Amino acid sequence: MKIALISDVHGNLEALENVLRDIEKQGAEKIHFLGDAVGYGCNPNECVKLISNHCDIKLLGNHDFAAMGLESIENFNQMAKASMDWTQTKLKPKSVRLLADFDMDAVFLDYYLVHSSPTEPEKWRYILSIDQAEDHFEKFSQTFCFVGHSHSPTYFEKDPEGYITQHFKPEMEYNRGYRYIINIGSVGQPRDNDPRACYVIADTDTNSIIYRRVEYDINKTQDKMRKAKLPDFLIERLAVGA
Amino acid sequence: MPEIIVKYEDKVIERVVSEKKRMTIGRTSDNDIVLDNRGVSRKHAQIEFNDNAAVIIDNESLNGTFVNNRKVGEEILRDNDVITIGKFSLTYRSQVQHEDTGAHLDGTMVLKTKKQKELIKRDQYEKELIQQMGGSVLLGEENSDFSEYQIDHNVTTIGKAKFVHVHAKGFLLSGIQAKIVKEHDQFTIVNLGRRGKTRVNGEPINRQNLKNGDLIQVGKTVFTFVEGR
Repeated sequence: MKIALISDVHGNLEALENVLRDIEKQGAEKIHFLGDAVGYGCNPNECVKLISNHCDIKLLGNHDFAAMGLESIENFNQMAKASMDWTQTKLKPKSVRLLADFDMDAVFLDYYLVHSSPTEPEKWRYILSIDQAEDHFEKFSQTFCFVGHSHSPTYFEKDPEGYITQHFKPEMEYNRGYRYIINIGSVGQPRDNDPRACYVIADTDTNSIIYRRVEYDINKTQDKMRKAKLPDFLIERLAVGA
Repeated sequence: MPEIIVKYEDKVIERVVSEKKRMTIGRTSDNDIVLDNRGVSRKHAQIEFNDNAAVIIDNESLNGTFVNNRKVGEEILRDNDVITIGKFSLTYRSQVQHEDTGAHLDGTMVLKTKKQKELIKRDQYEKELIQQMGGSVLLGEENSDFSEYQIDHNVTTIGKAKFVHVHAKGFLLSGIQAKIVKEHDQFTIVNLGRRGKTRVNGEPINRQNLKNGDLIQVGKTVFTFVEGR
């Protein structure tokens, strides 16, 4: 069985639509969403609706939390704050109602799914280094933990002896007895110097994890963002994936 | 003889028939009509009877005295006028309307009901609770997994999801059905999930400022909001 995992759409409708098309082509049976449907991009309502309709498990991210007014945006950087103010005024009550049914974390097969990290999910911590990953491995019992949040596709592998290695590879076959924390990258705002939308297919038949990269009409997204008067930096970063 | 009918939230808790020339109203027990509740001053007001006329005089109380919803300082009462003091309403009747008022002892006859005792006890409990907890509190009334919960976050989430602050039950309830937002000293409840599942005092709401004593219903779960000072 193929399972698609997507995250950090951030209101980028063109990227999400193309990713959903690619998932269909790949023949995935389930789609799980790991949070941040909104924030940064200019189609929050459309993205929330598409995710609600197409995804099986739907999780909340920190931007979704903020958009619903569940969290102060004081800790957001200036760009995120500006786009969050914009998102809050555009987000329709219907979208809020849909988001209200998203979860904080979930378990599926041998997967633990969460937006940021298994340790206190509501604190929105990043897992960027082996040191950080070490603690988080203790906080879930499943073989795999899939996360989003940092927008950087990378995975941590813990061998049966307890040694952890970090990898940046477009695909991998997983080993029996090993455990993994896998960051699935971002659909709507990649930051690993590859502007293409990123998501993951987990294939339980071949024991593999594949990072998919999908092109989309970045110019169209940028034009819409300019019309919406969103910060230039957010518009420009899409073209370079930074 | 004139009669005063005291109601608390539309329930009659006391009927006072008086032969006195003056009846005092206030929070402390030395008043003729004791209204033990926050929002009522110690010596809140008095009614003076003169021949056939009755006059209500507000003793410069903090929260005021209202006759037929109009704030008054001194006002002649007419039959069936409604005096509002805090959460209590007092209806003035120039004549006792039923005969069976029983024997009167010192000119004032008080028929206290069990209900009043309960209400007063409850009010006392809320006061103590606020002092103990040091802030505003939700009291679990029905289908709640706590008896009291201090609202100490700026945003308190209520719903079916595991991760919310306050759990609520009910069919088709959303994961995060509602939030209570604290801004300055005002608490506001906002419905986030499915429509019509959040009610305040029985009415479905989208967003509403909370007052002390409001009954909040989320799905099948009911809380009372007790405002801390």
